[in-house]
Amino acid sequence: MNIRFPRWILGLFAIGLLIIVPYVYQHPLFKPSRDAATNIPAKSAHVDHHDIVKGDFKTGQDVTRACLVCHKDAAAELMKTSHWTWQSKAFEVPWRKGPVTIGKINQINNFCIGAQGNENKCMTCHAGYGWEAGKEAQQANPENVDCLVCHADAGTYSKGLFGNPAESVDLLAAARSVRATTRENCGRCHFDGGGGNAVKHGDLDESQYFPDRALDVHMGGKHNLQCSDCHVTRKHQVLGRALADNYTIDPAEQVSCEQCHKGSIHKDERIATHLKSVACQTCHIPAIAREEPTKVTWDWSKAGQDGRKEDHYTYLKIKGEFSYSANFAPTYLWFNGNNEYRYILGDPISRNGPTYINKPAGSIKDPTARIFPFKLHVAKQPYDKVNGYLLQPVTSGKDGFWTHFNWDQAFKLAEPITGLAYSGQYGFTETYMYWETTHMVQAADKALQCDACHSATGKPGRMDWKALGYAGDPVKWGGRKLP
Amino acid sequence: MSTLTRALWIALLTSTTVLAAANPATQVTASAPQPSMRSMHPNFALLDADAVNVLKSGQPVSTMKTCGQCHDTAFIASHAFHADLGLSTFTPSGKTLDSSPGLFGQWDPLRYRFLTQAGDERLDLSTAGWLMLNGERVVGGGPATTSRAGRPLTELTARDGDPETSVLDAAGQRTVWNWSASGSMEMNCFLCHLERPNLAARKAAIRAGHFADANTATLSGLNIVEADGKGWVWNRATFTAGGLVDSKYLGIQAPTNANCAACHGEVHPAGDAPVLLSACNLDYPQTATTGQVVASQRIDASGVNLAGKAALRRPWDIHAQRQLKCTDCHHALNNPAHVNHVQGKEPSHLRYDPRALDIGDYLQRPDHNFARGQSAQVHVAPEYKNTMRRCENCHDATARHQAWLPYVERHMVALACESCHIPKMYAPAIQSYDWTVIGIDGAAQRSCRGVDGAPGDVRSLVTGFEPVLLQRNNVDGTSQLAPYNLITTFYWVYEDAKGGKRPVRLQDLKAAYLDGGAYAADIVATFDSNHDGAISPAELRMDSPRKEAVVKARFAKLGLQNVHMEGQVQPFSINHNVTRGEYVLNDCQACHSAGSRVTKGMQLASFAPVSPVFNANNNVSGSGDLIRRGDGALFYQPVPARDHLYVFGSSRLDWVDGLGALAFLGTLLGVTVHGGGRYLAFRKRPPGHESIRRVYMYEAYRRFWHWLQAISIVILLLTGLIIHRPDLFAVFSFDSVVSLHNILAALLVINAALSLFYHVATERMQEFIPRPYGFFDDAIRQAKYYISGIFKGEPHPFEKRPDARMNPLQKLTYFGILNVLLPLQIVTGALMWGVQRAPELALALGGLPLLAPLHTLVAWLFGAFIVAHVYLTTTGTTPLEAIRGMVTGYEEVEDHDQHVSG
Repeated sequence: MNIRFPRWILGLFAIGLLIIVPYVYQHPLFKPSRDAATNIPAKSAHVDHHDIVKGDFKTGQDVTRACLVCHKDAAAELMKTSHWTWQSKAFEVPWRKGPVTIGKINQINNFCIGAQGNENKCMTCHAGYGWEAGKEAQQANPENVDCLVCHADAGTYSKGLFGNPAESVDLLAAARSVRATTRENCGRCHFDGGGGNAVKHGDLDESQYFPDRALDVHMGGKHNLQCSDCHVTRKHQVLGRALADNYTIDPAEQVSCEQCHKGSIHKDERIATHLKSVACQTCHIPAIAREEPTKVTWDWSKAGQDGRKEDHYTYLKIKGEFSYSANFAPTYLWFNGNNEYRYILGDPISRNGPTYINKPAGSIKDPTARIFPFKLHVAKQPYDKVNGYLLQPVTSGKDGFWTHFNWDQAFKLAEPITGLAYSGQYGFTETYMYWETTHMVQAADKALQCDACHSATGKPGRMDWKALGYAGDPVKWGGRKLP
Repeated sequence: MSTLTRALWIALLTSTTVLAAANPATQVTASAPQPSMRSMHPNFALLDADAVNVLKSGQPVSTMKTCGQCHDTAFIASHAFHADLGLSTFTPSGKTLDSSPGLFGQWDPLRYRFLTQAGDERLDLSTAGWLMLNGERVVGGGPATTSRAGRPLTELTARDGDPETSVLDAAGQRTVWNWSASGSMEMNCFLCHLERPNLAARKAAIRAGHFADANTATLSGLNIVEADGKGWVWNRATFTAGGLVDSKYLGIQAPTNANCAACHGEVHPAGDAPVLLSACNLDYPQTATTGQVVASQRIDASGVNLAGKAALRRPWDIHAQRQLKCTDCHHALNNPAHVNHVQGKEPSHLRYDPRALDIGDYLQRPDHNFARGQSAQVHVAPEYKNTMRRCENCHDATARHQAWLPYVERHMVALACESCHIPKMYAPAIQSYDWTVIGIDGAAQRSCRGVDGAPGDVRSLVTGFEPVLLQRNNVDGTSQLAPYNLITTFYWVYEDAKGGKRPVRLQDLKAAYLDGGAYAADIVATFDSNHDGAISPAELRMDSPRKEAVVKARFAKLGLQNVHMEGQVQPFSINHNVTRGEYVLNDCQACHSAGSRVTKGMQLASFAPVSPVFNANNNVSGSGDLIRRGDGALFYQPVPARDHLYVFGSSRLDWVDGLGALAFLGTLLGVTVHGGGRYLAFRKRPPGHESIRRVYMYEAYRRFWHWLQAISIVILLLTGLIIHRPDLFAVFSFDSVVSLHNILAALLVINAALSLFYHVATERMQEFIPRPYGFFDDAIRQAKYYISGIFKGEPHPFEKRPDARMNPLQKLTYFGILNVLLPLQIVTGALMWGVQRAPELALALGGLPLLAPLHTLVAWLFGAFIVAHVYLTTTGTTPLEAIRGMVTGYEEVEDHDQHVSG
């Protein structure tokens, strides 16, 4: 039957359009979501490996071989990353001829100073086995990749000497527990950096295994973010670079707040104008080491003294004298994401004032720099009085400093390993190392308020405006003028 | 300074002062505060009243002489309403209770002490008594140094009965005040310009009547000078070899918020110490009367026991948070930094006049008349009202509001910024003081709003309060709604011997109620209604003629004549505690609905012994109703219409709605009855005309035009109804509905205009124009048809043809609708829509209070028309035939050519 299309429907449709179109123009039906949580990348579903993994495993390498049966590229991928190489890509630095790399493998810091020669202990935190075979042999073998340290349930696994699994570990149980990385996997090394809980970073410590919202708005509270939610990982390449182990950092390789917090977040224009010169972290991380005290000074020159009372927070014979601080305001510097300087073994020390292990780059005149919070770690560490460079001792092992408390011996032992001549005369010099503060982020209601930095009454706030290059408090003296 | 630290500070200073006074040998240097290092002020000589260095004379310091070495202190003292306090316009009057617009002479029923005028029968506050009572909030100079006639107080000779040279002693007896012994109190530069003025020592000196020592006492505790019981001991160590005081010990500076707070109210410095409040405490007058607290701290971080505190992540005052100081807005009028703002706009072409006062000249003669607003409670220096920067002088409000607020300009014209940006106060404020009765402690029956329990008790839950919105008549002639606290006071007044009205003195009030520190026997007998021998707070109220008679009798015994109760409602402006963002009143329905903020009332008192009057001595329209409930509770109910305000969704005229509803329902009833009749008639006798023909009645454009208009009008009526009564349709968002209404209105107007063009261009217009010739005959025929013919199945009297589709009644109806209702609706609607762009046009035509009800009435009539119109479409050959015709264009109509009629 041929039913004629009722044409009046078209008229009705036209009338509807006439009304709806202008209305929708004024009131868009769909507004973009402002919820940053929607920007967290989705992860692939977990596959329970309990029935997949079969033993019997005698060594860590046995486990890795089993992993590689299915995950064929995994070892090759990981071996390209700094979790494996423990060094950065090669940099040209203005003060040295030829490219240099920076990392735990070949450079020093002002905590435990250096890993070279101390591999038996330091490699507890390396994602690889078999350091007893030496660096070249260890690095060449894909079976040395430690899958378990990142992927096993952290409760089932731990590492012993030379990066190998600890004696007590049930490798089959550990291998069956594998899954995507959690805060516990990352935290085992990164929360305990510097040789203990909270020692090194100040914004990373074991309180973040079970954080509440007040400690860290991302990891705690309803979001319960894992490290890899921000440190997005593709082919084992983890996003994010530590300032300490790099010279410059490509922003594409760095984690940023803007990954999730897109667009104009601050409706308050006064706050929004700050973003040109103030990093998110500056206001949203009012304090370092909110719960666990972090190390702020370390004097190696006092190490080896007999008869002193020892405790974790003030003095250890093997390490010297230190001080810890908790819940304190960061040090603020202009920062464009790079180092202006990173100490390379053999660099001369400063004869007046401290030697910088690293120095964040940026100044009030740098449009890409923003005021950024840092933890400053001040150390007194050994240097060669004749050659004028910092020395790296061998501390661990049967001949190391921690056994005999003999600095000369420790430096002589290191000579062939670091390739740096030791004159026989050592002293201790002050060094500064800056650690960027980016975790333990606070929500808006606990962020810094105006009067933390600005003061109508002249009461000094937490910003040293003159040191930052301002004439005075920018509320009164004006902000920085950029070309 | 938090209350706690302030209290500790005062306690410390008081104790050191007392110690010093008790034991002249005691050195107080150990506990003296650290000297300030910030002051740039040069060292200078401290001079006494004879311009001799105090190191030499050992006399109290004279600020006028000391500061006058460089600054023009005479100019400053004479250009300072803080000093004048109403003295310059002091006008004694028997008729009113106010003799000046300032603290010196303005009747303040909260403090309840009356500054006695010359010739008054009874002495309440003499000038000296006034100064001792209020001195801690009097900067000095003005009435503290000068008599009402303009002579120095110290030169006055005591005269019997002169309120300037006498004082009430402890027993309430009039005695002579010897000004030459007490000295007078010069304007105290130190009070506002020292980092740490010694407020406690100053207060002690004033309370003791040692006025000449007050300014020197302000310096004590700073290592410079201490009292030794007889006079002042100047500490040589803080002076230079040349006899100049080392300025860093003084910490001379521009006034800080803390300096202003000393007299005005709760001000807290930045820092982590939780904000604590002294609620409803007249020592913090601005806070007590309005709940305003100047603090940068977030409310959720404060120490106040506040309901819902955790969600209040906003600072107490955003301007304090953003580092503004009191003096940034209330600046010296000739301060070169602000001079461009003060210069005004003349000549009009000049945006900026660089010929500002030189900074040196300014420092020599800084104008101490400070820029001020136009608050309802401060009357001194009316010529300086509105000299301060207003919100819009610093903020470009339209740019930010344009993004979300419809009718921005209209909102800006009608509302002060504070109305939305100070939606709620989070500190308690005084509600009422009832002095018609008196507590055993000699205090009024007081009540405080915004707190559940006794104010000041940490266990009391502070709930805060929403200010009432009242119409403020601005100095520039505009009017806006602004937030206020209303304080109601009740008190007795009597007629003195000269017939002047005076408040009953506190002393007489006490005498009337109390005998030897307890309620008098006949007072207890009258007030103690439950006969338990004591007067409970609930019994202590003037709620019966018997109580009134007994108290009046006791007044009569005291010699007070013609005593009666009075009450007044006084508005107190709220301008501080501004907020932004989510804490602002920005929900349309908060105002545009039932229970609108604009009509939200305020409880004035839980018991009102008399009906008070709304204090008219201010710029606030108290046009609302004072409602006294049966139980004596008193309320203020704003009536916005009396201030020519019409708030959509909240305001309406009931009679307009009644009339409109009557027309609508009447029509509905009419068509129901008519339709029912037709149905009954139809069942009895089906229609009998045989000849029907199918006609192409409506061409496409006509149908499109009709249905667009029909749908527009129906939705306009529905959205209009929602706008009119949003409380009944809470599911819809108000601003979306308003915007849909406006879009449809625009569509309707465009559609009507195009259709008009079509009809004019095609000469179809004629169809709508009733032919005058024989019109009435035809109309009567048509009417007769509807009244009777239609029931009998008669054919329509006029054939419906494509070139003549309307019968005479239709023509008449459309003539009315198209010429009266539609234009009226379009014009009123357009004026209402345009009220923000061309407010004067709408105002010229009666303003919203006229336009809006008219628009509503016509909308009702349109509704009635729609009902009738739809009903009449069923009168075609079949009930749905006409509608089908309007949809498809083809309609089956009676064929009159074929029809054989009689």
